[in-house]
Amino acid sequence: MKSLSLLALICVLLLAVMFGYVIEDIPAFGDANSPPNKYVKLFSVDAEDSLVSSLNAGVIPPEIKNRTEEIGYTKENNFPTLDEGKYEINRTEGGWDVLVMKDELYYPGPEKFYFIKEEDGRLDIYRYSIPVRWEEKTIEETELPDMVTSGLADYRGYDTMYEETVIFTGALSVILLLRREERL
Amino acid sequence: MSQKKHDEDVIITTISRLMIPFILLYGLYVMVGTEGAGGGFQGGTVLAAAFILLVTAFGINKGREKMPESWNALFKSLGLYLYAGVGGLLCIIFSLGKAQFLNYCAIPLASIIGGPATRGFWVSHVVEVGIGVTVMGAFVSIFYDLARKDEVLEEEER
Repeated sequence: MKSLSLLALICVLLLAVMFGYVIEDIPAFGDANSPPNKYVKLFSVDAEDSLVSSLNAGVIPPEIKNRTEEIGYTKENNFPTLDEGKYEINRTEGGWDVLVMKDELYYPGPEKFYFIKEEDGRLDIYRYSIPVRWEEKTIEETELPDMVTSGLADYRGYDTMYEETVIFTGALSVILLLRREERL
Repeated sequence: MSQKKHDEDVIITTISRLMIPFILLYGLYVMVGTEGAGGGFQGGTVLAAAFILLVTAFGINKGREKMPESWNALFKSLGLYLYAGVGGLLCIIFSLGKAQFLNYCAIPLASIIGGPATRGFWVSHVVEVGIGVTVMGAFVSIFYDLARKDEVLEEEER
């Protein structure tokens, strides 16, 4: 028994140390530009002059296009592809924003999809993560002043629907377990 | 029988009578609309708290008069139906199968006030109310089922 409680104490202390490390490690609160909120790194290629000049001219080089399709951003997987004329490239600080026209029935407009960054002679290709669309397009797509409401019930509608179903099922289970009389 | 047996303290009943309408109003404020904080889950819980206060102050029989259990069953099914049934089915039926499930732009309202406004209106005034009504019905129903146990025990004792 004594060794067991000693083990438990060690586990708790380890957890406490780990949580302390995690708290030290997370980015500052409200940092909208922190990498997890902003983008995911996909791959990187050598920054040849032809690639850079092609990006500056507004055309995605075929190397980058083929690599993204190898990863799985294809039409079969319901991702908009980098076809000619369906994207636009904006030069931003330290890289290029690639806006892709998404083939959605009611929202065909451009959306930030890829971010290309030049660093140490290499081109890093990042994918903008989903919260970027949520943050930047809530007003445009839902006209709601409250980002939480649109996120809860619209962008994550399935999640909320089944949460509601869980509560409904819980109430039904309590009825089945505890209700004895025939009254409904 | 338990109406008489239940001790009605005058302070508790008066304060409850004063508080319950305001709690209900506050629950509605939290549940509907987008300007304030909260949402469907929180608003439904506040509404359920009002009925739980009613039962605590006046006894379970008075509570069943004000909020019968058939209403509970109706409410918690209706809320889920508003969300999954009406929202989803309207989108699919009116777009002839082109729009996805829960894609509110396909509701015919969109041709009048525009797609984004329809999404906003539907999310903040229909979906949230559906969630709130379901949560209220579920919590009150669970509370009634738990409260019944004491009543049965009292009957057995005498």
